[in-house]
Parts: sequence; C-alpha cells; structure tokens
Amino acid sequence: MYNKQRERVFMLMILPAFIGFIVLFIAPTAMSFFYSLTNWSVYNPDIKFVGLDNYKMLFEDVKTVSAIKTTLQYAILITIFQNIIAILLAVYLNKKMVAVNFVKSLVFLPAVLSILVVGFLFQYIMTSADYGLLNNIIQFFGGDPVNWLGDSKIAIYSVLVTQVWQWAGWSMVIYIANLKSIDTALYEAAEIDGAGKIRTFFSVTLPLLYPAVSFNLLMSLIGGMKVFDVIFSMTKGGPGYATETIMTTLIREGFNSGRNAYASALAVVFFIAVFILSRIVITFLNKWERKLS
Amino acid sequence: MSKKGLLGKISYIVGLVFISFVMFLPIYYLVITTFKSPEEAAASPLGLPASLDFSNYMKALDAMNYLQAMKNNIIITSVSVILLVFFASMAAYVIARSTKKIYHIMFAIFLIGLIIPFQIAIVPLYQIISGMNLMNTHLGVILVSVFCINLPLTIFLLRGFIHTVPIELEEAAYMDGCGTFRCFWLIIFPLLKPIIATVVILNTLAIWNDFLTPLLFLQSPDKAVLLQEVYKNVGPFSTNWTSFFPMLVMSTLPLVVFYIIMQKRVIEGVVAGSVKG
Amino acid sequence: MKKKTVTLFLSVLILLATILAGCGSDTSNGADKEKENGNDVVTLRMMGYNPESTRATYLKYLDEKLPNVEIEFEFVALDNFNNVLNSQLQAGEGPDLIEVGGEAKLLAKANYLLDLTDEEFTSKYVESGLKPYMVDGKVYASPLQSWFEGIFYNKAIFKENNVEVPKTWDEFIEISKQLTKNGVKPQIMGAQSWEPMMKQSIGLVNNEFYSDEANRNFDEKFNAGEAKLAEEWLPYVEEWARVIDEGIITEDMLGLSYDQALDQFATGKAAMWESGPWAVETILEKNPDIELGMFPIPGKTEGDGWLIGGPGSALAINAKSQHIEEALKVLELTATEEAQKVLVADNAGSSFLEGVEVDLGEIYTDSEAAFKAGNVYAPWTAVWTSGNPIVEAYGKSLQEVLAGVKTIENALKEADSVNDNLRKTLN
Repeated sequence: MYNKQRERVFMLMILPAFIGFIVLFIAPTAMSFFYSLTNWSVYNPDIKFVGLDNYKMLFEDVKTVSAIKTTLQYAILITIFQNIIAILLAVYLNKKMVAVNFVKSLVFLPAVLSILVVGFLFQYIMTSADYGLLNNIIQFFGGDPVNWLGDSKIAIYSVLVTQVWQWAGWSMVIYIANLKSIDTALYEAAEIDGAGKIRTFFSVTLPLLYPAVSFNLLMSLIGGMKVFDVIFSMTKGGPGYATETIMTTLIREGFNSGRNAYASALAVVFFIAVFILSRIVITFLNKWERKLS
Repeated sequence: MSKKGLLGKISYIVGLVFISFVMFLPIYYLVITTFKSPEEAAASPLGLPASLDFSNYMKALDAMNYLQAMKNNIIITSVSVILLVFFASMAAYVIARSTKKIYHIMFAIFLIGLIIPFQIAIVPLYQIISGMNLMNTHLGVILVSVFCINLPLTIFLLRGFIHTVPIELEEAAYMDGCGTFRCFWLIIFPLLKPIIATVVILNTLAIWNDFLTPLLFLQSPDKAVLLQEVYKNVGPFSTNWTSFFPMLVMSTLPLVVFYIIMQKRVIEGVVAGSVKG
Repeated sequence: MKKKTVTLFLSVLILLATILAGCGSDTSNGADKEKENGNDVVTLRMMGYNPESTRATYLKYLDEKLPNVEIEFEFVALDNFNNVLNSQLQAGEGPDLIEVGGEAKLLAKANYLLDLTDEEFTSKYVESGLKPYMVDGKVYASPLQSWFEGIFYNKAIFKENNVEVPKTWDEFIEISKQLTKNGVKPQIMGAQSWEPMMKQSIGLVNNEFYSDEANRNFDEKFNAGEAKLAEEWLPYVEEWARVIDEGIITEDMLGLSYDQALDQFATGKAAMWESGPWAVETILEKNPDIELGMFPIPGKTEGDGWLIGGPGSALAINAKSQHIEEALKVLELTATEEAQKVLVADNAGSSFLEGVEVDLGEIYTDSEAAFKAGNVYAPWTAVWTSGNPIVEAYGKSLQEVLAGVKTIENALKEADSVNDNLRKTLN
C-alpha cells in the first residue's frame, strides 16, 4: 500500500523528463532513421520508400567518404594528442605552488571560451595575409611562412592544434584530480626499488590513471567525431573538401542542398561510426583494466 | 646535489613560463588587438597599443546589439539550467532509488542520448519545434537545450551521486510520514549540493557556448544570442578586422568573468563531472 | 497525503509554466505596442541574405509609404540561409516575404511560393528579370535590382605602373605579369571561400561560350541532364586557369578569407580584386582615398567584356503567409521607379523595371559598354535548377585545382555529378 503510493509519485517525478526526452530526442532520432530510407526532401513533399538507395549513393560519393575518413582521422588524432599533452601537463603541474596554480588556471582558461570564438581568433592568427601572427613569428625567427589553413595537406592539422590548445586544460584537470588520489607511498616504494622517473611513470602512475584515461579518451573521441563549430569558423570545410567532416557534410547536404533523406542516411552512418569506435575503445580499456587487476 | 636541485628548479620554472606563454599568447593577441587600428596591428602585432583606444569597442557594442544579446543569453542559459536541475534531479532520484524494472529501462533510454549525438536528429527536430509553434522563441531553444542536448549527461551525473547518499536518511524521513515528493525536495535535494554545482557549471558552459541550436531555432535579431551576433558580423559585410576582435572578446567576457570568480568551483565541477557513477 | 503531493507537484509545474510564459511572451510584446499605436498594423516578416544595411533606404521607404505595415527584417547569412528558410517552410512557417535567389525554382516547385503571374506589377518587369523565377510559365517572385561582379582595380596603382585596363584576356595576363615584375601583387583573391574563383572563371565562360546565342539553350539541357559542363565548358575554364599556371592566383590565397582579401585590396597591397558593388562601402571606409574602378572580365578577342551577375535576388511571398494582401502591396510598391531608385541607392545595380535607367557612377565607367550590350550573366542563378550546390561543388573543386590536386576537367566533372545527384534526389 505504502509502496504503491510511492511508486506513483515516482512515476510523476520521472515522467516530465522522460516525455520531454522522447518528444525532443528519441522521436526525431527515430524519424531520421526512417527518413534515411525514403526520398524525403524539403523540395519534394511526397515521400516514397527508396530502400538503401541513400546509403548506396553516400558510399559512392567520394566527397562524403572522404569526409567520413577525415572525421575518423581527426577524432583519433585529437584523442591521442589531447590526452598525451594533458597527461604530461598534469604530471608537470601536479605540484603545490602558487605559480603552478596560476599556470593551471591559465591552461584551463580556453575551455570556457566558445569554440566559435576560438576558431575565428585562430583564423586570423593563422591567415596567410601579411598580418598573420603565426607567420610573422615564424618569419621573425627566419623561417618561411606556412599556409596553415589554405594548404589542403595542413589545414586539418591546423584546426586540430587549436582544439588541442583549447581542450587540453579540460582533460588536464581531470588527470590532476586522479593523480592526487594516488597514494604517495607507491612512489616511495618505486624509488626504493631504484626505478627512474620514466619507469615510475609507466609502472606506477599510468596504470593508476586508468579511470581518468578511460573517461577522457571516450570524451575526446566522441567530441572529435562531432567536430563542427571550429571547422565552420576556420575553414568552412576547405580548401576544396580537405576539412569537410561528417557534421559539415550533413549540414551542407541536409539543409543547404535540401537532400534531407541523404543527410539522414549520413546521420545514421555517423551514429554507427561513433558506436563502433567507442566500442573499440571500450574493449581496449577493458583489456587494460583486466591486465591491471 | 644542491646545484643540481637549483638547476632543476630553474628548468622547471622555464617550463612553466613556456607553458604560460603558449597558452596566453593567443589570448593576449586577441585582447591587445582590440585597441589598435588595422595599420597598427599589422605593423606590430604583439606590441602594446599606442593608446588605450576604446573606439573599437564602441563600434562593436553598436554592431552586435550587445545588451539585448547578452540578456537573451542570460535568459536562455539560466532558464535552461534551472529546468535541467529541476527535471533531472527528480528523474535521477527515481532511477537511483527504485528497483522497478521500468525505471531501469527508462534510464537505458536516457543513456542512448550519451552515445547518439543529438545532431543526427536536427532535421526532424526542426519540424517538431515548428509544429509546437516554438520556432523563433527562446522557449524553443530552451526546450531543445534541456531535453534534447543536456538531459542525459545531467541525469547520469546526478544518479551517480545519489547512489552515494545513504538511503537510511530517507527511510527515517518516510517513517516519520514524510511524502516521497516532499521528502525528496526537503531531505535529499539539499544533500545534492556538490553535484548540483557541477551540473550547473557544466551546463552553463555548454549552453552559453552553444552556437548551432540558437542558429537554427532563432531568427529574429532581437532574440539572437551573442555568438549569433558575432557570426552576423563576419563575412562580406564586415568592416575592419580589428573591430571584429572586440566582438570576440565581449561575447566571451561574461563566461571568463564567471570563470575567474568561480575558478575553483569550475575546475571541481569539471572533475566531478568525469567521475563515473 | 497523496493528494497533497500531487497538488504540490502541480503547483510547481504551474509556477514553472508561468516563468516560461514570461520568457516566451517577448514574442507578443511587439504586437501589443503596435495595437496601442492605433489601427491594425500588420507585421510582415521579411527574411533576406543581404544584410539590413544594404536595404536600409528601401526599408525606410516602405515604412513611410505603407503606414499600416511594419516590416520586421531578418538577416540570415547566406551560408545558413537555405538552412533556416527551408526548415521553416517545411514546417508550414516561415517569413511572409522571402528574398530568393537560385533556389526560387525549387521552392516554387515545392509549392512554397505564391503564384504572382496574374498580379499587375509583374508585367512591369522585363522578361530577363523574371525568367529566373519562372516555372512552367508562371512567375513566383518579383526581381529587386540586379547584382553583378567584375574586377575592381586600384587606379593609382595602374597609373604608377603604366598599365591600362585590359581589353582581352591575354592583355589581362600580360598586365598581371607586368605588375608582378614591378613588385606589385596583381590580383588578390579570398580563395578560402569557394566563390571568387568560381565566379571569375564563369566570367570567361560568359565571354567565350554564352556570348554565342546558339549556346544559350545549354543551360536548359544541363538541367535535364542532357549536357555536361565537362564537355562544353572545358576549353574556356582551362583558358581561365592560366591565372593559376602563370602564378597570378597563388596557393597561399587559399588561406585568405573574403574579408582578408578585401582588406589587402583596400589598403593598396594588391592592384585588382574580384567582387561586386556591395563591397564598395567597406573598401571606402577602410581607405577613403582609394581611386576605385571596375572592369568586366575580358574575353579572348577584344570586345565589351562580360560581368557575372543577373537578377541578384527577388522577393517572393510565402504561399502560407497570413498576410498575403499586405505582402502583395509591398511588391506592388516595389514595382515603381521611385522604389527601384531607392533600392539601387544602397546597393548598385540596374533595375529590371521597364523604362528605369540607373546611373551607376564613375566607379563603373569601364563596365558601361558591357552593361549596354547586356553582357551580364550567371547561369547558375538564371537557369539552373539547383544552382547553388552545383557551383559550390565546382568552386570547391577549383580550390583543389589551385592546390594542385585536381584537374580542371575533374572539377567540371565533379559539378556534373552533383547536378546528376540532385536531379535524382530532388525529383
């Protein structure tokens, strides 16, 4: 009797959130899946089933396939670089000193800026116009100017660097918190064993960073797959199609060209890619965890 | 030994300076350029400005309709965050406390939102918001921000924390005849303070800095948020790039101030957000 | 007990709803104000991809002439314009008045636009101004002033270096080389955007291909998928590509945005820059002393040259608008000589209204002959069904050509394949 009443209240408490979520997330997501099998378009109000035609077209389109590849490459690289740099920073800055605290806050600062703003700022810093700051610095030290955003081989890495700059601090504070929880006795033991700094890092620190590593890897991976704002503000997908990603292609095809069904198919492929990639990372992390225990 | 120690210390400090330099240079460049004319900025990009000239800021304030846009940002962010805390804390509490299967299924459905990026739902979402007659209203953006984008992670974090709250407390309250709903708000909710702080901080950052949602769902200039105003001033119709920079500064200033004041809290919040439930 | 909980819950919800209503009510504020001011003022939403500043005089004019209509102008940058517009239209919403360009035909086919064929004012426009907005002989929009792009040049730099405005494409290459030799950057281009190269190359296609009346039906065939760019345009685009081969347009320009290129041109760091009248105000703001001129893109043989352009944009009425009557009044008023002059005041162009002559001013003296000969054309807005996505693919491919990873032929093939894909998906 008592419990029954409680359950009813429970239902009332969870339903608003759940209904909102169903209406504004699950339903449109399901609709996307459905539309991907049709010829739906804003210019074409009669919907017909076309089976897997959109998917076929998608994988036959060199541009889309290359956008998928670029996105995967970007996501994997940013996961690696952001985390390596964040771990190094965390180890380096895990000290109790006023100056260090200041540096820590500084490293985190870009994370509160909007990605769009960071993108616009770096677009000016990396421009090949003669006031481009980065090239001015390089030339000051006697180097040759580089076409950071206009060279199709470099552009995606230029974008990547800005995002590592922006987000390394975010990952770093998570690593630092994790480092703080490591028992110092373990380090003393390692020192007694005569282990050097580097060996201590790999045999003591890294394994104990497992929780932070697993979280950060997944977050930067999924964040990297979704990359949009920074491309939008820095390169608009160019030069050519060099920095087109899944999201920019999705927006271009789905909204600008009016190929909504095609874009929906791409969205589904996007979901599958994110799913597979995070599965792989999770499997890898689980293996590592088993090895640790 | 001591010599080596000193050397180590010096090289450590050199390292610190280097890191600060790399992190701070772009921001320094951004701020310093706002006070210059294009000619001055081109001549000495990193030099201090000849005079503290605020005319770029005056132009930018005008061009980006600053106060109105900021007000819009504040409305959207604060209402969204309040709604998120309100709905998500109740839902998370139910998920954490009930053993009934249905809630676990609901939780699993919420978790889908952590894996599937909401972007895949954009096109139909647009239809839904239009169908609800919420296009070009703040409420539309708020609902999307709350239910479509930020709800799953918020519930996930809250649920993890509620698990750590000892159940005995509520049991005692129930014994005293306190109703479930009241018991939650009076006994449990105050205990959630630390995680609420986290949730508020993470969502404030995410919603304030979100560009895509307002871009798609708000069209009238008087409803636009700061980033839309910045974006509006890029491209074929912009004037001097040095008067574009103040817009970048002013659109992020509120959050930077928020960060400087609440620095410790923000970092704690980010850390707490990463702890798995 | 149970009742109490439910009441509490409901009261919280009501409280929240009130808060929400509070922030949603911004919407109605405007309307209330108007009602106070007196008789029924209708608010029309006008959405455009040209910013308010380029329509300021026109909007003020409408405000004066139509006291019972209040126009709420919404500017959405072109990158997202279709984005925002399409989704609104699809949901049965959207602005009352829509600035349409290349997409007009698609929108009309999808029944989003009001048929204007029988309105009296459409007959006041010349045929060429209406053609881009016609589907099966029906008119769906009324044209605003034309747009055009040519090549801006800095007269002072030309004088200093003893070069003349080129009359042929060879001369154009020649003076560019001459300027380079004198240490002046001949042409700057914001090639980070895919538009300028696309437009300039089509300028040469205009000269060599579209100037021949016989080729004018190419575009219709192209729409039907019966003709290919890679077959017809190739020699002319390859001719244009000499600016790449000769090092006039260089790879580093791929790192320059439109604004940055404009800045370089305005401050005298380059002698020429491809763009249109909308840039003049910004250029003069940056450098009030610049001596500015614009010449058309020259052809292989001496002639008047061609500009890229056409009926830039037009105003269409949302078929589902609640205020069709008032919206029609706006278009009616726009079809007067006075209104056309007002339009041109903010953004130079010619009028499509019969009998209206517009004096463009001395910047455009070098282009006068081209205008007189009617040498202004942009196939993708004039005839192509899905013009914008196709030229975007073409322009992006030209970026790859400039980067040295694609041939001109493949760039054109790419545009052809986008055309094929769109025909397949949108029909």
